[in-house]
Amino acid sequence: MICPRCDDSRADKIFEAPEDGSWELYRCPRCYFVWRNTEEEEVTNPDLYDPRFKLNEEKIAAMDPKPPIPPIRKENRTRHRDGG
Amino acid sequence: MPYGSLRDFLVKAEEEGQLLRIKEEVRPEPDIRAAACAAAKIPGGPVLLFEKIQGYRDKQVVMNVHGSWENHALTLDLPKKTTVKEQFHELAKRWDRYPLPAKRVTDAPVKEVILDKDFSLFRELPLFRVNPQDGGFYLSKACTIARDPENPENQNVGIYRIQVKDHDRLGIQLSAQHDLAAYLRKAEERDIPLRVAVSVTNDPIVSFVASSPLKYDEDEYAMIGALRGEPVEVISSERGNLDVPAGAELIIEGEILTRQRSVEGPFTEYTGSYSTSMLQVEIKVDLITRRRDPIIFENLYTGRPWGEIDYLMALNTSLTICKQMKADFPEVDAVNAMYTHGYCTIISSKMRFGGFAKTLGCKLLSTPHGITYPKLIIVVDEDVDPFDLEQVIWAMTVRFRPERDIAIIPNAPASTLDPAHLVRGLATKIIIDATKPVFPDIPLSDAGLVDLPEETAYWMDEIKKRMEELK
Ligand SMILES: [Zn+2]
Repeated sequence: MICPRCDDSRADKIFEAPEDGSWELYRCPRCYFVWRNTEEEEVTNPDLYDPRFKLNEEKIAAMDPKPPIPPIRKENRTRHRDGG
Repeated sequence: MPYGSLRDFLVKAEEEGQLLRIKEEVRPEPDIRAAACAAAKIPGGPVLLFEKIQGYRDKQVVMNVHGSWENHALTLDLPKKTTVKEQFHELAKRWDRYPLPAKRVTDAPVKEVILDKDFSLFRELPLFRVNPQDGGFYLSKACTIARDPENPENQNVGIYRIQVKDHDRLGIQLSAQHDLAAYLRKAEERDIPLRVAVSVTNDPIVSFVASSPLKYDEDEYAMIGALRGEPVEVISSERGNLDVPAGAELIIEGEILTRQRSVEGPFTEYTGSYSTSMLQVEIKVDLITRRRDPIIFENLYTGRPWGEIDYLMALNTSLTICKQMKADFPEVDAVNAMYTHGYCTIISSKMRFGGFAKTLGCKLLSTPHGITYPKLIIVVDEDVDPFDLEQVIWAMTVRFRPERDIAIIPNAPASTLDPAHLVRGLATKIIIDATKPVFPDIPLSDAGLVDLPEETAYWMDEIKKRMEELK
């Protein structure tokens, strides 16, 4: 299955309606997009997905981490090595 | 009698004619979002209870709990016709009862079912996409609980947007200024784990306080107690020594995956715009506790204002700012920071002397919330109800002199979510003084204000009563 948002071909079915199988859920392992096969075509069809919201490897690589990851404090690194 | 859970509140809402049961089967998308959006756009709009969700036999969805002033009044255990200004002043009184600490219990329905392996969040909750371009299914009204790793007595309960990314994986947005982000920074600097619990479907007063901008070391549970008039009941999480609301429907427990980030979003924010996708924090879920089925899943529709989120963040934000301003300027009567989370804020106050409105505008801009959010600040006299926009606009038309009464502060700190930004995080602020000029300023030349006829209040009650009788 192709991810409608980032076109990754590894997207896969992860769940279906527990009562009656009336819908299925799919998930993309790259951009974590999750969608239901019964949603609007603008959500489920890669060709109709709003281009402003499309993602790709370059866009993901350029994203900022929120919040930024701080450096590990020196005293904690030492403590880890000492096993304390 | 305060509520103990959302279920208690729903009983009251139904008695008061503010609960609408949607009995027919609805599709997760787009039915729930459309109905929730509509309910909040209707003045006096009801709480919606969706009894049958396509694909689930044992789940229900509740929307629009805070989404009208009538619902809002009922969540505070007030008569449903209580005006906004009356709700504000009642909350201001209750606020002063802080702290009223939580009461610990050892048994609660939320522990009826405990799942610690092979669970799926998609099975446990009837999740749905809130807006079409959201990056996934969101818990938009769940409360997240964590403890400060340096000072564990410090516990935070806050509403953060949460994306369900897999059966046992959540994404969570932590902005630098929020308490949980401070906890995370401490945990990441020490390279130690950080446990969290996510409480789904709560007594409405819990969500109300969890979305208030309280100070870092203030105890949300003790504020919930103050506002409801009795201690709120909490129960221990299964792991990690967290206090979770005993009245919750379902609790998700897990650990933040520290020192890593992954794609999250977009999600529709209170501005009425989608935020961008960013690399954000993830939670690995290892345990779920819940009531027996049927589970009620309460969620929040966010879209183009006005909507439920505007009601939810209205009086708690306004009141926090008002208390902070009053500490230095007791003449402040009320603050309305309801519009786009305070992007427009209206202050009503007595005036000490000419030009004092500008002093108040600057004071607002130095409160914790006021540093960033307000862009358009309007100051009115105490005889103008800041929650009544018709009165505010009237004051602007007859008391405001543009050549003297505007102050502009260019390039000041601003909300990073403002879609109108030129530089993200900066905005130009404008203070509008719509008060009557007082000494030493030049008084208005035609200042003979007409009072309301003395018996207007009597007749208002009388007419309302007789109108009710006509029904
Ligand atoms: Zn993808």
